[in-house]
Amino acid sequence: MNAAIGEWLEASRQKLQAGSLTTEDLDRLTDLVKEPRQLVLYLYSKSSNMRSPLASWMLYDARQPQEPTLPSQQPPYGSVLAAVADGWRIVQFPDTKLYAYQGVDNDYLSFEFILEKMV
Amino acid sequence: MTTIKPTLDDSGVMDFVASGYVLLEGVIDEAFNHRCNALDGGNVDAFIASDEFTQTVLLHPQIAGVARSLLGEDFLVPAGGHHHLFEQPHMGQTWHSDGLSGSGYDVTELQCYYYPHAVEIEDGPTMILPGSHCRAVDREAIAHYGDIMGQMSLTVPAGTVVMTRYGIWHKAGPKTNNRRRGMLKFSYHRQAAPQRDWCIDTPEIPAYVDRPRLAYVSEVESYRDRVRRMRTWNWLCGLDMEVALRWEKSRPVSQLIGENER
Repeated sequence: MNAAIGEWLEASRQKLQAGSLTTEDLDRLTDLVKEPRQLVLYLYSKSSNMRSPLASWMLYDARQPQEPTLPSQQPPYGSVLAAVADGWRIVQFPDTKLYAYQGVDNDYLSFEFILEKMV
Repeated sequence: MTTIKPTLDDSGVMDFVASGYVLLEGVIDEAFNHRCNALDGGNVDAFIASDEFTQTVLLHPQIAGVARSLLGEDFLVPAGGHHHLFEQPHMGQTWHSDGLSGSGYDVTELQCYYYPHAVEIEDGPTMILPGSHCRAVDREAIAHYGDIMGQMSLTVPAGTVVMTRYGIWHKAGPKTNNRRRGMLKFSYHRQAAPQRDWCIDTPEIPAYVDRPRLAYVSEVESYRDRVRRMRTWNWLCGLDMEVALRWEKSRPVSQLIGENER
């Protein structure tokens, strides 16, 4: 059993005996039994170093209504490492073989990290 | 016959080479801007090709002057275009490019955006990414990009025309209100061979002076950008870098042997 649900049951048995179980407690259980949802965050770093500043970013959150939000020039984190410190897990690291120094043509944004968080 | 005079000098052309756009704020007068009030969205070939639009917008001295500066003599004037019209809130388009200008180093097409009404940030302004005009990409493969450092929301006064190097990354930004936001899009094309026949003070062609690194560009990308910009500058000046390098690394045979031995 999920440890958090076990703790909820233990606490709720005591509340039930004391007559203090509330609808808020049931709402908390609802939250606990929900399947986690994946948040996906694209971060484009200025280099393959996770401490480098960011060039671009995009958060995909399927839980939220897909509504327009105004553009921003304020990155959500200062670096990929700062996002990891906030609980994001990296699911794709940039493949450095894609960034061989040849020619003079730039194309896509560089150093694409993809991160996830289960919430 | 009226002659279209170029309006950009060397520095202005270099700015365009680096950024990929020229912004002309409020150049079209209010009376003509109002003429676009009843215009439906979609194809507006007839309106663009009309004498009124041609005289007021397409041959406007400042607009045509930029076209003359960047596309040379006897450039092709648009005879059609599209009215991008948004009224309801929407998520915004995804980043895309419409293609490359010519083969990449050259400047053969200017894609223009004309805004008959003032555009605020809530109206879902067109967004462009300065300097992206040289980045050849699959237009669908950048659709997941979000905010990019240095992106530019074209919040502009009524009557503004933005002239871009074909291929610049752009999109309609997210729109959060119900106000009508229209943009007429049309393109000028080059016919003449490139030469430095914009506004010049001296006949000597100056070397390209690079512009500051753009906010989203990495160190190595900035080196590539500089080479690309030099090539485009040289191309616009009628120089060909490959030919120039060949001359630099070669000697005429007359320097090695006597005139009568040839």
